[in-house]
Amino acid sequence: MTDVPQDLAAAQRTTLRKIVSADWTSAVLALVAVLAVVGVVHPNFLAAGQLVNVLQSSVYAALIAMGLVFLIPQNEIDLSVGGNYVLTGIVAALMMRAGMAPILAIGLALCLSMGIGLLNALTSQVIGIPSLIGTLAMSWMLRGLALALSSGTQVTGVPLDDPIISYLGGGRVLGLPVSVLLMLGLGVVLALVMHKTPLGYRIREIGSNPDAAAFSGIPIKATRTLGFVLAALMAGLSGIVALAFFTVGDPQSGGGIELFAVAGAVIGGTPLAGGKATVFGALVGSVLLTAVAIGLVYFQIPATWAQFATGAVILGAVSVDGLVQRQKRFRK
Amino acid sequence: MNSPMIALQAQGIAKSYGGVVALKGVDFAVRPGSVHALLGENGAGKSTLVKIMTGAVRPDSGSLQMSGRAVSFRSTAEAVRGGVAIVAQELSLFPRLDILDNLFPMREPRIGPFIDRRKMRALALPILAELGVERAPETPVADLTLAERQLVEIAKALIVQPRVLLLDEPTSALEAGASARLLKILSILRDRQVGVVFVSHILQEVMELCDTVTILRDGGVIMAGADVAGLSMGDLVGAMMGEKARRQPRGPAPKLPGQGLQISDLTAPGLHGVSLTVARGEVVGLAGLAGSGPEAVLSAVAGLGPVSSGQVTLPSGAGRPADLRRAIAAGVAYVSGDRRKLGLMLEKPIWENIVQVRSIGMARDGAVLSTAALRQRAAALATRVGVKTQSVDAPAGSLSGGNQQKVVLAKWLDCDPSLLLLDDPTRGVDVGAREEINQLLRRVAAGGAVVLYLSTDLEELVAGCDRVLVFHRGKICAELAGEGLTAQNLSHRMNGG
Repeated sequence: MTDVPQDLAAAQRTTLRKIVSADWTSAVLALVAVLAVVGVVHPNFLAAGQLVNVLQSSVYAALIAMGLVFLIPQNEIDLSVGGNYVLTGIVAALMMRAGMAPILAIGLALCLSMGIGLLNALTSQVIGIPSLIGTLAMSWMLRGLALALSSGTQVTGVPLDDPIISYLGGGRVLGLPVSVLLMLGLGVVLALVMHKTPLGYRIREIGSNPDAAAFSGIPIKATRTLGFVLAALMAGLSGIVALAFFTVGDPQSGGGIELFAVAGAVIGGTPLAGGKATVFGALVGSVLLTAVAIGLVYFQIPATWAQFATGAVILGAVSVDGLVQRQKRFRK
Repeated sequence: MNSPMIALQAQGIAKSYGGVVALKGVDFAVRPGSVHALLGENGAGKSTLVKIMTGAVRPDSGSLQMSGRAVSFRSTAEAVRGGVAIVAQELSLFPRLDILDNLFPMREPRIGPFIDRRKMRALALPILAELGVERAPETPVADLTLAERQLVEIAKALIVQPRVLLLDEPTSALEAGASARLLKILSILRDRQVGVVFVSHILQEVMELCDTVTILRDGGVIMAGADVAGLSMGDLVGAMMGEKARRQPRGPAPKLPGQGLQISDLTAPGLHGVSLTVARGEVVGLAGLAGSGPEAVLSAVAGLGPVSSGQVTLPSGAGRPADLRRAIAAGVAYVSGDRRKLGLMLEKPIWENIVQVRSIGMARDGAVLSTAALRQRAAALATRVGVKTQSVDAPAGSLSGGNQQKVVLAKWLDCDPSLLLLDDPTRGVDVGAREEINQLLRRVAAGGAVVLYLSTDLEELVAGCDRVLVFHRGKICAELAGEGLTAQNLSHRMNGG
């Protein structure tokens, strides 16, 4: 036997091991399992159209989760992403109703969402309020602001014939909705940022050991501030995508989406303990939770019980993941 | 051999980890009321033997006996119940709880469901007094000095009335001068007829404090329970290191041209008008009791602490840096002996730790990083500093103390520093690795860097430095070099000014 096939086999082995031991492996396996279980009982669930529907429904939480992945590993959290999602949509809708060009309204609304991220960074990094508390308060302020600005009613008047709105809300490329492609594209970009740039390494290392990170010259406050701004921007973007799809700004929408997104990120392999991050995992985790929520409909679980069932599934998924992680550590 | 006169006896202990033999049939015996030193380089099998005796690890074969009766510990808690307690190398106290709470982890005396603080006090006060802890037992551990915490650790072990006490590197966290205190503690333990196992890297202490010595090398016993009185330091070093023992004699350091480190009239908390100049190519030691100034010098130069007045000129020509990040940008490297807290990310792979400063913290390699290139660079550096590991993909926490410290050095050498600040870098590092680290520092200095070397281990300063500046109450009180640079002289000047 020559060396070459051995090397090849070794390379394949390490690739396989990498896949098996990746942080997102359990989320992918769980997703496959959910699709299989629901699919066996109700084969229409696996129809292409329905699968695309699952993907499209998961875009909002997935965008938010992919942003949170830049914050959670640094031992910070942003619970105001839900409020940010709602307010950004409302503000953009209000500006469009007032006659502003959609592209401009979207740009300004996204600037607003980044401003909110900066505010969160200010309260947590400069004033020193734990981000769990600071962003929780911010969340109420943002939802309250959305209600007040919209007088508590849905904001209509989004120009449906505008090319950006119609493309983002209803356009398809290669059979896939534009919003899904946006999610996938951003997923690739953000994953590259996370794993191939100093910023990504910094984010994961800060949560691993903040003191050692500071002693390695990593600018902790600046990195955390960037994380807050990015998480807020992704939340705002999610609000814009939702506005384009639903074409009305709804101040009552997005209830609990922040926790849904946090759960998606955690199930995907970004532990709240910090130090680890996977953008792809956050995406898969969000799709998984959405698939569960939609799958429950197939089992004719009454709508009044759907929320309970979703919560139970989240708890179950996170528990299984916890057990798997413990097993891994034990084996080491 | 089953003598009741032996407090703890290990016979034929063998242990391997996945094919790597850590211990191959080791015998070891501790007599009550004596202090038995357990020595060996990193990897010699010391820590494995300690873990087996304290129930943290089960041996593959071999037996343990206490006072002649066979015992088998399945956990550390069981070992404690059996009369074997350990004072661990890494402090394991709860900083926000007070001394009393820390003394009774999970075994507080109770009245019904409630904790009986009065009884805790009654049990603890005599022991604390005996050890010379002068703080009120209600003092939070966070408010104690490192030395006091160590005493609390020892008190915690004594509360359970152990028959055997293992002290794992008890002085590595203490300042120099604390061995006198330890001597007193050991005499208390002798009076109590406790069998003490003393694991240390500081041979001077072993010579002063211990009665017998067992030396391990490569998992086997090289010297078994020998009487310390008949041995010299050279005998110990020779037994521990075998062929590697002979130290290279060293000539005076060549002072290289170019801007060195200049500090003039530096005043900061704990420093009063300190001036010093170090040329490129020199390794200069800083000695002093805790709080007497050397740490403050390093903090000021690294931009870590406030400074009231004075001038600093770094080898790169820059002035005093405002913070650590700017210091690093100006060519400063700060190697801390506190590897777990400040030096490493233990669960991250070795390579990620090594490239951390240059590629990540300072982002000197551009916005896009190639994992393959980073790993390759890290592997080359790991080889250069002599990290012993199968792969740089292993987590840094899987390495021994000495190898972890080499990883910390590697991550700073990656930045090609012009000023290397070392803050007690050999804490918890064995003799062999210390020598390797010293030689590495020598090469870095010869390459044109300034090396400032703070250590609480005086032998280490003597072995590693060209000259040593001694601090007393915030001022430099002496400069020792050449023949005059001995541990005795250092200790004398540190304590007396």
